[in-house]
Amino acid sequence: MRQQLEQLSHVAESELTQATTLTDLEQVRIRFLGRKGTLTQLLRGLSSVDPAERPLIGDLANRIKESFNQAHAARLETLQQQELETSLRREAVDVTLPGRDRLPGGIHPLTRAVEEISGFFRHAGFVTATGPEVESDWHNFEALNIPADHPARDMHDTFYLPPGPDGRRRVLRTHTSPVQIRFMEGRQPPLRVIAPGRVYRCDSDITHTPMFHQVEGFMVDKGVSFGHLKGLLEAFLRHFFARDLPVRFRPSFFPFTEPSAEVDMGCIFCQARGCRICKGSGWIEVLGCGMIHPVVLKNVGIDREVYSGFAFGLGVERMAMLKYRIDDLRTLFDNDTRFLRLHATV
Amino acid sequence: MKFTHRWLKEHLETPLTPHDVAARLTLAGLEVSRVEDLAQGLDKVQVGFLEAVDPHPDAQRLTVCRVRVGEERLQVVCGATNHRPGDKVAVARVGAHLPGGMEIAQSTIRGQTSAGMLCSLSELGLATSSDGILILPPTAPEGGPVAPLLGRNDHLLEVELTPNRGDCLGVLGIARELAALTDQALRPPAIDFSTDPRINESHPVQVRIEDGVACPRYAGRVITGVRIAPSPPWLRQRLEAVGLRAINNVVDATNYLMLDLGQPLHAFDLATLAPPIVIRGAWDGETLTTLDGVSRTLTPEMTLIADSRRPLALAGIMGGAESGVSETTTTLFLEAACFNPLRIARTGRHLGIQSDSRHRFERGVDPEGLRRALDRLTRLVLDLAGGQAGPGLLVDAGTLRPPPPIPFRHARAMQLAGVDLPRAEVQALLARLGCRKVSSEEGETELYQPPSYRLDLRREEDLVEEIIRVYGYDRVPSRLPVGPVAPPVADPLAAVAACGRRVLVGLGYLEAINFAFVNAGQLAAFTPEVIPLPLLNPISEEQGVMRTLLAPGLLEAARRNLSRGNDRLRLFEVGRVFLPEADGAVAEAERLGGLLCGSATGRAWHTPARAIDFFDLKGDVTALLAGFGLGDITYRPEGPAFLHPGRKAALLRGDVALGWLGQLHPALQVRFDLPLPLFLFEIDLERLVTTAKEASAPTISRYPAVARDFAFVVDVGLPAAALMQAIGQVAPDLTRAVNLFDLYTGEHLPPGRKSLGVEVVFQAADRTLTDAEVQGLVDAIVVAAQRQFAATLRGPA
Repeated sequence: MRQQLEQLSHVAESELTQATTLTDLEQVRIRFLGRKGTLTQLLRGLSSVDPAERPLIGDLANRIKESFNQAHAARLETLQQQELETSLRREAVDVTLPGRDRLPGGIHPLTRAVEEISGFFRHAGFVTATGPEVESDWHNFEALNIPADHPARDMHDTFYLPPGPDGRRRVLRTHTSPVQIRFMEGRQPPLRVIAPGRVYRCDSDITHTPMFHQVEGFMVDKGVSFGHLKGLLEAFLRHFFARDLPVRFRPSFFPFTEPSAEVDMGCIFCQARGCRICKGSGWIEVLGCGMIHPVVLKNVGIDREVYSGFAFGLGVERMAMLKYRIDDLRTLFDNDTRFLRLHATV
Repeated sequence: MKFTHRWLKEHLETPLTPHDVAARLTLAGLEVSRVEDLAQGLDKVQVGFLEAVDPHPDAQRLTVCRVRVGEERLQVVCGATNHRPGDKVAVARVGAHLPGGMEIAQSTIRGQTSAGMLCSLSELGLATSSDGILILPPTAPEGGPVAPLLGRNDHLLEVELTPNRGDCLGVLGIARELAALTDQALRPPAIDFSTDPRINESHPVQVRIEDGVACPRYAGRVITGVRIAPSPPWLRQRLEAVGLRAINNVVDATNYLMLDLGQPLHAFDLATLAPPIVIRGAWDGETLTTLDGVSRTLTPEMTLIADSRRPLALAGIMGGAESGVSETTTTLFLEAACFNPLRIARTGRHLGIQSDSRHRFERGVDPEGLRRALDRLTRLVLDLAGGQAGPGLLVDAGTLRPPPPIPFRHARAMQLAGVDLPRAEVQALLARLGCRKVSSEEGETELYQPPSYRLDLRREEDLVEEIIRVYGYDRVPSRLPVGPVAPPVADPLAAVAACGRRVLVGLGYLEAINFAFVNAGQLAAFTPEVIPLPLLNPISEEQGVMRTLLAPGLLEAARRNLSRGNDRLRLFEVGRVFLPEADGAVAEAERLGGLLCGSATGRAWHTPARAIDFFDLKGDVTALLAGFGLGDITYRPEGPAFLHPGRKAALLRGDVALGWLGQLHPALQVRFDLPLPLFLFEIDLERLVTTAKEASAPTISRYPAVARDFAFVVDVGLPAAALMQAIGQVAPDLTRAVNLFDLYTGEHLPPGRKSLGVEVVFQAADRTLTDAEVQGLVDAIVVAAQRQFAATLRGPA
């Protein structure tokens, strides 16, 4: 019996090595260890073995079984590995084929610019306000110290609308400054407000569109000075353009501010050396601002003896064009998807 | 406002170069937009002496000239005929790049070398056409540059003046400003001349102001015996340098002094007048032919200079054609007046006349400057045209009130400016600007009297600006604001817009921004029943009315893109529409609109091509609304008439109509010549804000879900949503989802029936559902479907 066992073990081991598929391997296991397997059947004859030899034979049978199991497991792993590799090879794809495309969306560069501008001022404690785009003459002009027949009105090419229910003249707002009036009416300082929005002027050429965007900002409190206006706008411009730009304030005129200023920043295209964009001056005009005019404060019922304030107005198109390097204003309203997609990336 | 550097220097001995002047003025708020070297291109043009002029041996019309330029001798071939030996001429040397655009090179003309060119005025860029070459005066220094002889050794500066600085609409004003900035004194011009009182008797002219508000002051003077002639070169050159055409000595003198002083001046031919001169309102319907040859019909609020017979001039705006100076004029009546700025502005606008005079009067001229202006004009006319001046007259209607002094509190001013200057320094800065301190005591409030020409200085704040303007805005220290900050205020509309943008960008939409005005006809094609708000002065018909829908703008954007081959479009826009109300008011509504069209897949190797259809649109809108937390939206098969009647839906949440979606009506697709169907949606953001507030978040169950599939056979006309909704209502608390996964009509079904495959997911919030419970729900669903829709089960449940 010992001899038979050893021979059986020999045969089984050689069959294991010869098995090349998982099915073959399972066949070998069944032939050897299955219910009708050769080892199983041989061991059924164990009772006829001399009782003195029985423990030895039993021991041998167990060792053979153990060794078979080990060899089987090793072979199984090898074959499984081979099978996996085969299947991986079969599943390989041409990764250079195009993927199932998704055309990415994106927000408009002007929206992006408004968000970036608003973001800065929100961090500085400014709240957002809005106002109507169809405005009364009072809010758009009179309350802002721009009387009828004043040459300052020529600074605004106004779109006029038929009179409203009250019979008064209406206009498309020419700037976001009327939001100052609407917000301050019935409120008292301290106030820090920004008002982004669409504005309209009757002007259309290579550098003007009849509709464009502004962000108005103003602050009214005790002790607010022109120096505060300078400090805040310098910080804003350096933040928005993410560089340490020279910024200069030039005296100017707006009927609703006094003192008034235009703000120039060093040309970002030529590092202020002078180029086509800055017309050789090294400076780019970016916004208008000033201390809120006493007449405006009076019109909204804020005591100018107690409070003072500043206001500024940014042209969003200009800021966006400078920051995102857009050289033609009109592309902003053309809505060509190639342009929009190009500028959708942040 | 244009002027030249030399002109400026007549008023002020400044060491500043033209570019330095420009920089200094710009930083003081007088923005210089242009500095131009008038000698540009003339640097290689010299005075030459013609030693010999010989006929060209091989060309009849040409001459070969020997030109001496200092030590050098040149041979130049010339095509002109007006030059003689001994003339002084302007020689452009080889390498010159003339203002007229010509470049001079050494050349050979019919075998004769030519080392330069004898120039005409037009070749020098100083005339549009000229007859022959320029012959210089014999005194011209040979070999020297020609630029000074032509008045071109100068620089032109152009200032963009803000409307408050009418005082700088004359070179004198600019000089005054620069003098204040650099703390220098002006050089007063000579205005002495003698007058002859007898002219008052020989040529009596009386002036009567009937409307003292329109014309507070009027100064005039008679000059006899003048000779009208062309102006001398210096005057012509100066006017031409700033873009004015020279006319004759008297007219040029009035124009020149207007530019110099900022005071408009006028010269009448006294022979054409029938004194007295009356300044009065026009009679209704009265007509006047102005200098530009246009006959104007006037209204009573317009002011006239008239004589006893007829209107002579439109006061402060333009002279009349019949009373002006002509070549035969010998006696002048000169006018320097002061008119009401608002009246001038209104008249100018009504008549649509832009003139230098109007421009100045509506910004305000110095009421104290009339006499000086008239005297300077007199002196210049006498110099240029000869004659004898009368004593002149000044009529004051007594309507001008000198502006009150401005109260000024030093501490308050320093606080506003954000600087801390000593009182004495502030006083000195203001003094430089001509603002006199008129209060004697050193109290808290000082009083300053601004100069008569600074009509813009009226308040303390105005003086604050003046102080830091002269001190330098750049020297004001920058500080960040400090102080209380109000807590942020919620802006739900902006939040909803931002959320919509985020979701749509994720869905592959690009944001568009269209103008808010559209073509009326196009809008009417969408909503013929709505009368939109028109612009009274549109730029074009394309931008004639305010939009009541976002769709037309998106449609135009799509059309542009499609024509450029961009054909897979997903666009959205956030913007206002303007909805007219019955009483004439207009409601502004914030909308979110979208458009999609073209291929859903692109042309790809992995997927059969498919065009975008209604369900792409609906899927996007559903995802968008889910992004707002709104899952319970009803899509009711109705909607605006501009959509395909069978492919549109109104979006409702409960009773609230949020908007609509659908395919553009095929008739409109044809009308707008679109190659593809467009799919559109539009949502009212304000309604969304209101309704989204009420949306409650469902709880997320921790217990297992069980899914069961059904295939119901129902009538082909039954809306799928009806069945799905009924299923959902069998046990709303235990039903998490009802998904339609199959739709079948065809041969395996009876005619008029369709099969809907529905997956129902059951889940309880508080326990695991038992098999028996689930079976109970399944049975109840089957019963409900049978009862409500006569639905039969097609396969096993």
